[in-house]
Parts: sequence; structure tokens; C-alpha cells
Amino acid sequence: MSATSQAYLNTRVTAMSTRLLDREQIQALAQLTLPELAERFELESVLDEQLPKRAKSRAVEQTLIRVLLAELAVLIRPMTAPERGLLLAWGRKFALFNLKTLIRGKLYNLDQAEIRENLYDLPDSMRLSDQELLRAENVLELLRILEQGPHRLIARQAREVYEQKREPFALEAAIDQRYYAELVRQAMQFQGENVQSLQQLLGAILDRIDLLWLLRFRFSYRLSPSETYYQLVPSPKLLHRDRLLELANMETFEQVLEALPAPLDKLLAGSTSLIDVQRRVGAHQHAEAQRILASGRSGVARALAYLVLRESDLMVLFSLIQGRLLALPQELIEIGIELTEPNCPIGGFVSAA
Amino acid sequence: MLRPLPMKLVRLLVMTDDLPQASLTLAETESFHPDLREPEEQKLSGLPGRDYHEFYQQARSRLEKIAKLVPVTEAPDIDRIRVVYHEELAATNVLLRERWEQASRFEEGFRHIDEEERFVRDQEAALANFANLKIDLGTLRNKTRFLDFYVGIVPRENVGRLEGAVKLADHLLFNYLQRGDSAHVVIVGPRGDKESQLQSVLSSAGFQSLPIPQGLDDASPEQKHDEFARRREELQRERERLRAELAAWESENHDLLLDARRTLILAEPFVTLDPSIRSIGTLAVLSGWVPARQVHDLDQRLRESLMLPFELDARDPLPAERALVPSVPIKNRLLEPFAKLVKQYGIPQYGEVDPTPLFAITFLFMFGSMFGDVGQGAVIAVLAWIFRAKLGSIYLFGVMAGLSSVLFGFLYGSIFGYEEILPALWKSPIHHPILMLKIALGYGVLFLVTACLLAIYNRVVIRNYSGALFGNHGVVNLIFYLALVWGGLNLGLGGEFGTAPVLLVSMALGALAWYGWRHLDAPVGEKVLVVFIETLETIIGYVSNTLSFLRVAAFSLNHAALSIAVLTLADMMGMTGHVITVILGNVFVLVLEGGIVMIQVMRLEYYEGFSRYFSGDGHEFAPLKLRRAKPVPAQEAAITVPDTSTSTSAAVAAMPPGGT
Repeated sequence: MSATSQAYLNTRVTAMSTRLLDREQIQALAQLTLPELAERFELESVLDEQLPKRAKSRAVEQTLIRVLLAELAVLIRPMTAPERGLLLAWGRKFALFNLKTLIRGKLYNLDQAEIRENLYDLPDSMRLSDQELLRAENVLELLRILEQGPHRLIARQAREVYEQKREPFALEAAIDQRYYAELVRQAMQFQGENVQSLQQLLGAILDRIDLLWLLRFRFSYRLSPSETYYQLVPSPKLLHRDRLLELANMETFEQVLEALPAPLDKLLAGSTSLIDVQRRVGAHQHAEAQRILASGRSGVARALAYLVLRESDLMVLFSLIQGRLLALPQELIEIGIELTEPNCPIGGFVSAA
Repeated sequence: MLRPLPMKLVRLLVMTDDLPQASLTLAETESFHPDLREPEEQKLSGLPGRDYHEFYQQARSRLEKIAKLVPVTEAPDIDRIRVVYHEELAATNVLLRERWEQASRFEEGFRHIDEEERFVRDQEAALANFANLKIDLGTLRNKTRFLDFYVGIVPRENVGRLEGAVKLADHLLFNYLQRGDSAHVVIVGPRGDKESQLQSVLSSAGFQSLPIPQGLDDASPEQKHDEFARRREELQRERERLRAELAAWESENHDLLLDARRTLILAEPFVTLDPSIRSIGTLAVLSGWVPARQVHDLDQRLRESLMLPFELDARDPLPAERALVPSVPIKNRLLEPFAKLVKQYGIPQYGEVDPTPLFAITFLFMFGSMFGDVGQGAVIAVLAWIFRAKLGSIYLFGVMAGLSSVLFGFLYGSIFGYEEILPALWKSPIHHPILMLKIALGYGVLFLVTACLLAIYNRVVIRNYSGALFGNHGVVNLIFYLALVWGGLNLGLGGEFGTAPVLLVSMALGALAWYGWRHLDAPVGEKVLVVFIETLETIIGYVSNTLSFLRVAAFSLNHAALSIAVLTLADMMGMTGHVITVILGNVFVLVLEGGIVMIQVMRLEYYEGFSRYFSGDGHEFAPLKLRRAKPVPAQEAAITVPDTSTSTSAAVAAMPPGGT
């Protein structure tokens, strides 16, 4: 990337980062009513329509995703092809949500209209050939169609897994695994000042994902160490290959937490449940992304950090609106958006975890 | 030719029961381009019964999937036009689902054979490797009391993770060969309770066990190769058998599939119209654009075919609707390839001049004058004629461009670069370079003036009078340009620029500056800057655009110069060398210079011409049609499609707007 493009991108990211919400702003938003939220975020047209709550919630989510992807489209404009590829690879997660919806729909023989209702409307650069896939008669046919397009690798892997195991968990795990592996592969292609920042950011993302998957697969789903390790993606930062091998071989939840490298060990010390781990490790990823956005020198890493933070903000907003739509108690909403910690006893989850 | 085919907006009010028949009649007349705008009347809603649409899409998708396995005519003959009701469409959908289930088994069968073949190839590769190993392969084949062996293939990208995963089950992975996307691995470890967890990982990793050939120790590699060859032959026989079964299935279901295709074709107009149909109670309304001269016929046909009362009214498009009115393209076989090139730039908006005829004439003139050679032009024309079946209608473009080149070749007296064989009917460019440059400049002026006149005309027809007068390439611009040319001509003839041209240029620029000033909403400083730059840009633009046409002469000179270079080289060789150099040189000139000339002409057409007067943001008239087989002119049939009953191009071309 030329110095001019880099300067442009950095300025653009800095300007956009003023949209990010800090804790005080989230606290203030949490006090707003649904019409006030709708007015503040220009969602009146979506929320005023005479639609069922579920459809409204879906429309809000779709609108927020569209906002995020529109910002992604703006950010990639001055980028080189590999940089653009990395950000688009990150954004492709929404296409994979659609893919999973399609797969589940086909598995449970849902009506095409019902499946279609649950698909996100995505920009052309990320869209799957939804119509063709919708008309596939079964999962295998769907994956075979997908193998002919840009998601060839993911689809091939998913099909092979599905042919062998015939179960949706393995299929979706393979899709997720492939998504993160591809993200790391693209990030590792960079050189110079980009590589360090990207390693830090993707490392934080992967550390969080790996830890949560590891705990869930090992202690909730009771998968073997081998099977658990196989589903993970080595992180370029803390939870690298050898450490994952070591952690996957641990026998208890506590042993895993104790064996974590710094700073995760201190951060997660005393965690009693997967939800607690998820909250703390999520906060760690958030802080890392904020650090890279504030002080990173790589334009592409800052842009990705911005998108990660922005996605998190939009999801907070979505949770808030959904809570209001469902008329949930204020306390529950605040727990949902992590403004307050749950004070209910959740010890039972430890055993589940 | 300047005026577009007048169109009317037709609004049809029918009873909902008559809708399928109305859709069919509209499709039969091939004159109705659906208007997909939301209705102004709030009471109207989307038509209920969306399942007709769903059934159609599903059935169509199934038929297309079947058609990938066995030929199903795209546009069969339809003897009787009839309405396809909901029940028939639903039944067709069910029938196609059953047939697709049967057909997909064949597809899976072929895929299975392909995978088997790949597996045999992998086994052969493995054999080649095993043969070099100094180990007892019998041990690998049979699990021992203490050791557990797995020999097989995994996708290449999974090897790294699998290596770690088997390590956790106390096993070791050895990747001994990589072929394409697959990696050949041996996994070995102690027997015990971790064996079962390994099985699960192996299946997640897509591990495919590779049987170690029996008798590898005592059989020679040739014998094993023979075995594999036999297996491949078996697979080939299996494939042939499956093909024969598929052919039998096809002949058994041929008529049924053809009937399904007919049903879908007859259902298609209603489905295509679906988004533009609005209803209230038992009444439905649909609107679309129809050529004015066909409105009466359409009304007549609807009267003949509809059982229930209906109302059809037609009106002229409103000025605000201009952008929505489709343009009917000029129908002319000779202009067809040029229309395709124009379409690359855009479709004329309704009312706008269709530039195709002008484009064809100027393109041929410029190409011929820049690449004038009897021999090379003839080669282009003959090659286009020979490959007409592959090129489709675009072959005419090649033939005409070649003939234009031949014509100019006679005028220049040039054949395959030789200028002494043919007498020049006019002049040889290389001997009259100044004259050529003057003519090119004159042609450029003519071209730009014509473009400005067309730009003015296009604005006048839509009553944009201020745009026609002061807008880009409007009347004031034209006056400025002509005055500039006048003054330039005076200078060229050795005189002075002249008082009248100076006055005209100054007045035109003043008028443009005044117009720009009035239409700018900015601080005074910014206004001064913008107006100054825009005025300067007008002067520079017209001068540089005119000079741009010098390339027409430059390339005619370039062509002659290249030919001289080739012939000079050839003259330095012996007889054989001379012939070879002339042939290769001509091929070089044809490919390289021909390509460059083509690009340059396109650039002049698009940039100097179209950008001045052609918005290209219209949309083409694409009436609702039935995709049935049409009689093809004998000559065309001989050229393009040997069997019209299986023509896919005809069907694709006849797709209605927004067709599935």
C-alpha cells in the first residue's frame, strides 16, 4: 500500500472510530426506551412496521449487519488486493451464517420460504448463490453446488466431514474451523509493520475462540483430546499449536485455566463457568482491539480492529433492542450487554462446562 | 431513424381468474414489457397464491438439473397454447422431483466411479512408493498385537492438524507422499483404549484408508500395474453400463420431460408477470410498455382469448417516466454486431438517438482508413467467414471490417504491404503524410460537430432547452468550436485568426462562464476558480479532442511504415527466407496492429463520440415471450445451430425480463 493510501486509510479509520461506543455511552443507551433507540439509530422504519416481534428483531439485525458491511466496503476501497482479501475474509462470516442456516434448513426439511426468511441479505462480494442453494434437494447437493464457487475449500471439507459423520455438529465445526484457518492464512501473508499488528489482533481473536471451543468441546460435549484439538485453529499469539496440544490433554476445567499462559492465567483466575470465561476473554479481546486501533501503525490491522469493535457495539445495540422488544426486565438486559455481572447462582454450570 | 419507436403505457384490468390466460396472450403477442413499479393505488396488494411462483421455480430448477445429465430441449414446439393451472404445475413439480431423485442416482454413480478411479491412481502411486520401502509390508497390512497401523489418504490441508491430533492419542503420523490435494500418510501407535478416539478424528479429517496390495512382496510391479489397469477397465465398463442405463432412462422419460418443459414454458409468462401484478378482491391490474402501433392488436387478441370482461387503457409516457420507458433496438442483420458493441457502452434512453448506424459507418471508415490493405483485409474477412459458426452474428463485423480494409487497400494501392503491385486508386498514405493528417483533422472536426448536433438534438427532444443551449456540447459550445476551427483554418492558410472568430469565441466563452456562474452555489472566490477552470477546460478539451483524430492518419502511415520494415527485412533474405519473413511479418501486422487499430477506433467512438451525446442509461425493450422453438432462416440455421430443436442460444436470447 502506498504511503498516501495508508494515510488515507488511517485517517478514515480514525474518523470512523468516533462512532464506537464507550462504557458510559452504552450505559446511557441502556436507559433509553425502544422509540428513543429507534430514533437515535434511525431504525423507525424497521420498528414502526406492523410486524411480529421476531420479524422486527430480524429486520433490526439485518439493518445493523448492513451498516457494518457498508463500513467494511468503505474501508476496503483504498486497500491493496491482499488487504481487501483479508477484510472480506473476515466479513465472510455472515455468508457462513447463511450457509449454516441453509444446511440446517435442508437437514430439517424446512420450507424454502422459511429458510429464506432467516437468510441475511448480503452484498454481492460476500453473497452465496442463495437461490441455487435454496433449491438444492439435500445437504450433500447443497455442498456440491457450493464446491463449484469461491467457498470450494470450506464446502469440500464440510462435505467430506458430513459424508463420514452425517451429523450437523461436525459439519458446522468444520465450517467454522476452515473460516478461522483461512483468516489466519491470509493474515500471515503480510510483511513489515502489518504482520505484527495483525498477529496481535488475530491472535487475540483466535485465543478467545480457541479457549471457548476447547472448554466447550472437552468439558461440555465430552470430546476426546484428539477430537478437540482437531477442531481448533492454532493462534498466532498465545494459544499456539503446542500449547493447544497441552491444554487439550488436560482432564479438568480448572487444570486448563491454571495451565493458561500469561496474561490469560491471571485474567481468568477464579473463573467458575464458561459464561464467566467468555465474558473475561471477550473483554481481553476488546481491549486488544482497542489498543491496536489507538496505537497500531498498520492501516489494515487498525481497520480490522475497528470492524471487530464496531461489530461488538452493533451486537450490544441489537441485544438492547431485542431486550426492549421482548419487554425483558432492565436488570436482565444489562446482564445481557455485560453492563452488570450476573448475581444469580450459576455454579451448576461448572459441572456442565 | 432518429426518432424512437413510440411507446404507450398500457394498464390492463382483468378478473383474477383470467390472469393466467391474459399472461399467455401477452406473451404470445410479444409486445408487452412489464412495468414493475409499485402501484399508486394503496388498496392494491401483491397477488395471493405465491405457491404458483414457488412451484414453478422449484420445478424449473429440478428440470435444469436433469438437463445437465440428459438433453432436454430448451425450446420445444408447442402445438397448443393453453393455460397451466395451479394443480398441473404442482403435479409437474412432484413428477420432476421423482425424476430428479432417479437422475441424481446416476449422477452419484458417475461421481462414485470418478472417485474410485482417483483412488486407483492413488493406490498406484502408493505402490510405487511401497516398492522402494525396505520394510515388511505384510506387517503394515495386518495389525499386530501391540501396534496399530493406518495407511491412507487425507486432504492435504488437514495433515498438520491431524498430526497433532494423533499425537494426543499416542500415535505418530508419517506423510510419505503428496499428490494434488491429497497427502498419503501412515499412522502408527500402540493398540489400546485410544484407538476409538482416533477413529473419530480420522473420520473428521476425511481419512480414506488405502488397502496395502496383497502379494506385494512376491508379485512384480508389472503384475500389480496389470491389476490396476484391469480395475480401471472395470470402472470404464461400469461407466459405460451406467451411461447405457442413463440413456435408457432418458428414452423412457424423454416425452415426459419434454411435456414438463412445455408446461413450464407455458407457466413462465404468469410467473414473470407475478411481480407486476396487483390485485384487489377478484380484480387484478397489471401494466407494461407496448409499442404504440401494437396496442390495437393487443386489445384484439385479449378480446379473442379472455372469457371474462377486462379493461385496457393506454396513454403516452409522462416526461417524468422517460427513464422507465424501454427502447426498442434497431432490427437489422448487418447492424446487429455493431449494436452489440454499442450495448457494451449502454442502451439508448427512450427518445435518445440510437447511435448504432452512425457507429457502424464511422467505425468501418476509420478501421479501413487506418488499416487499408487488400490482402490483410481479405484475410480478416475470409477468417471471419470461415469461423462464422463459432463467432455467431459477430462474424459479420469481421467481414465488414475486412472488406472496409480491402476497399481502402485499393485506394492506397497496398496488398500484403507491397505498394508496387496494385496501382493506387487514390493515394498512398506514406507518400502523402501531410495530406493524410489534414484529412484526419477535417474528419475529426466533422465527427465532433456531428456529436455536438446529436447532443443538442437529444436535449431538445426531452425539452431540456437550457441544456441544449448552454450545456456540455450544446449550441454555445458548438459555436465556440466552429469559431475556433474557423480561426484555426485562417491561421493555417497563413492569415490571422480573424476578428469574427475571436468575437465569436469570446462571446461563447463569456456565455458559458455566465451560465456556469449562475448555476454555482459557492463563495465568490470558489466561483471564480471553478468558472475559470471550466472555461479553460472547454478550450483545451475541444483542441485536444480534435487533435486526437490525427491518430486516424498516424495509423495509416504506421501501417505502411510497418509493411516497409517487413519487406526490407524480407529483401535481406534468400527466396525462402523472403517468403517466410513476408508471411510472419503480415501475421505480426495483422495481429498486433489490427488489434491496436481496433482499440484506437473504439476509443475514438466511445470517448470522442458517445461521451458527448449518448447517455446509455436506458433499458432495452424485452417483451414477455414464450420460449418455444421458432422457425430459423435456412441460411442462419446452417451457420449457427445444426439442430434447432436443441438450440440453447435461441432460448436464452428469448428470456423475458427478470426471467428465471
